[in-house]
Amino acid sequence: MTWGPRTKETLLSLPSMVWLIGLFLVPTLLVFAISFRPSTPFGGVGEGWTLETIRGLANPNYPTIIWRTVWISLSTTAICLTLAVPCAYFMARAPVRWRSFLVMLVIIPFWTNFLIRIFAWKIMLHPEGLLKKFLLMLHLVEPRTILMYNEGAVLLVLVYSYLSFAILPIYAATEKFDFGLLEAAQDLGATRLRALVQIFLPGISRGMITAALVVFIPALGSYVIPEIVGGPSSEMIGNKIAQRVFVDRNLPHASGLSALLTLAVVVPMLLVLMLQRRSPSGLSKPEGRA
Amino acid sequence: MKKWWVFALCLVPLFGWADEKKVLHLYNWADYMKPELIQAFEEQFNCRIMQDYFDSNEAMYAKLKAGATGYDVIFPSSYMVNVMKEQGMLMPLDHDKIPNLRFIDPAYLKFTMDPVMDYGVPYMVGSTGIGYDGSRVEDFEPSWKMFNNEAYAGRMTLLNDMREAIGAALKLLGYSINSTDEAELAQARDVVIGWKRNIAKFESEQYKNGLVSAEFLLVQGYSGDILQAMDENEDVVYAIPREGTSLASDDMVIPVDAREPDLAHAFINFLHEPQNAADNTGYVYYLCPNKASYDLLAEEIRNDPSIFLDPAVVEKCEVILDLGEENAKYIKVWDEIRAAE
Repeated sequence: MTWGPRTKETLLSLPSMVWLIGLFLVPTLLVFAISFRPSTPFGGVGEGWTLETIRGLANPNYPTIIWRTVWISLSTTAICLTLAVPCAYFMARAPVRWRSFLVMLVIIPFWTNFLIRIFAWKIMLHPEGLLKKFLLMLHLVEPRTILMYNEGAVLLVLVYSYLSFAILPIYAATEKFDFGLLEAAQDLGATRLRALVQIFLPGISRGMITAALVVFIPALGSYVIPEIVGGPSSEMIGNKIAQRVFVDRNLPHASGLSALLTLAVVVPMLLVLMLQRRSPSGLSKPEGRA
Repeated sequence: MKKWWVFALCLVPLFGWADEKKVLHLYNWADYMKPELIQAFEEQFNCRIMQDYFDSNEAMYAKLKAGATGYDVIFPSSYMVNVMKEQGMLMPLDHDKIPNLRFIDPAYLKFTMDPVMDYGVPYMVGSTGIGYDGSRVEDFEPSWKMFNNEAYAGRMTLLNDMREAIGAALKLLGYSINSTDEAELAQARDVVIGWKRNIAKFESEQYKNGLVSAEFLLVQGYSGDILQAMDENEDVVYAIPREGTSLASDDMVIPVDAREPDLAHAFINFLHEPQNAADNTGYVYYLCPNKASYDLLAEEIRNDPSIFLDPAVVEKCEVILDLGEENAKYIKVWDEIRAAE
């Protein structure tokens, strides 16, 4: 018996399809379904269907939290990209024998548990810690300034946590970029800056889009970081979902919030996918503009 | 063919020796039991003990409600014991297997919701109060008003527990900690919003370490936690606010689906052996309400007013009750507090 290439392809992708459907699609649909169920005062999911949760999402306290979640995630993404592009550029231009070493340096922090690295920040930002004393010495802060438990600290630790995830895809794209194009652009009269903006950045745009998604999506769902270094006013949606589950015993409402978050993640992803379809190669963009 | 043998050999440990020793699974608060007692029980009953931890009754309840199984002894606060009992999640206790129940101090049974101990046996009783750094907080007075003091802004914490945080404000205003009056709750909300501008965060677990390292100078916390922090930082002091506070009894219960109910009964009995109860109190600094153990305690613990509360203080304190559907009022107020700038 012989299998056509089409069947083979299907068979090969079957395990990952089963994985995705069983462990991603079905649970997500369950979350959507539960948000249309009534809640019971003792934490159960009731019988029948209701729109109560959807109405409850109009909670007047939510816009503040949603806005905070969005701006912190967007800022994290922007800062990570801004830092990652020069890093990746430097790594890709480094001598070949150095490159794998530099990539390893980016990966090494992952050898330490994520939570431990966040707790390390607590020590560094301690109100009587070394960093605070150093900043005091430089007269950059006042004795009463608190470095932690505010939105700034959340942003700082988010950027720290996701920076590696931004560097790696951009580095992968940069490594494949033909740096001869930059010289060609300069030969044709472009300034260095113009060559970088109009040739280099579009050339690595796919890596940048991947990096943006890889940072933005988990940042939207942050829970641990605002919980540990955030203050009384740095709650994000993830913390609110946890509160709905643990404190309020309202699973349908938590599901409703999660569904909202899922939609907030899926919609920009679809947009990006559509954009990428339209321009299959980043390099085709500058054509006709120069 | 050879490969299969290697594979099969790898699986042997999974089935072969798995049930050699019985395993008792505990679900407890962190730092809440003397480790030597665990070892002693393991040796005496030839079993292993696995511990899992929770940081709020609500988190524990939500996990069980979501289907977590396999725990043999759980240590919820008594209001939660009531909820779990009504939800049919608990196994009735067999008093014949816990002869040491005769040592339980009846004076403390009024803090539990289950004074006949059908489902829960008191494990430890404690209070919620204020822990502070005596070397840096000079103008301390034992009052919930301290959280208004801007001198310590950014260096104070309140418990990340809506009933405790709002409860402290209700007490300051002279209301019941279990109030369901919306006007009273609205006043309490405004008090907590005022406090919120001064605190570093709402925190139920890390405040201990923060107090020890002087990251936090004044915290709302549980008596035993703060007394434990005193061991590590001698500047730490514990005080019960004069307006009153909440008292709690954490009970030991056995869930209906426990795998080792006999061992679980034996463990409860073991912890109420007077000598063990005394050792445990001396380690966690909450009070194990076991009458026969009091005489075995060290002098300084026997005379510590943070452990053995003055009856006049107890008079002003209350036990937090589960409010069922009225809980929604607290959730609404808590949401408003968390969202307020």
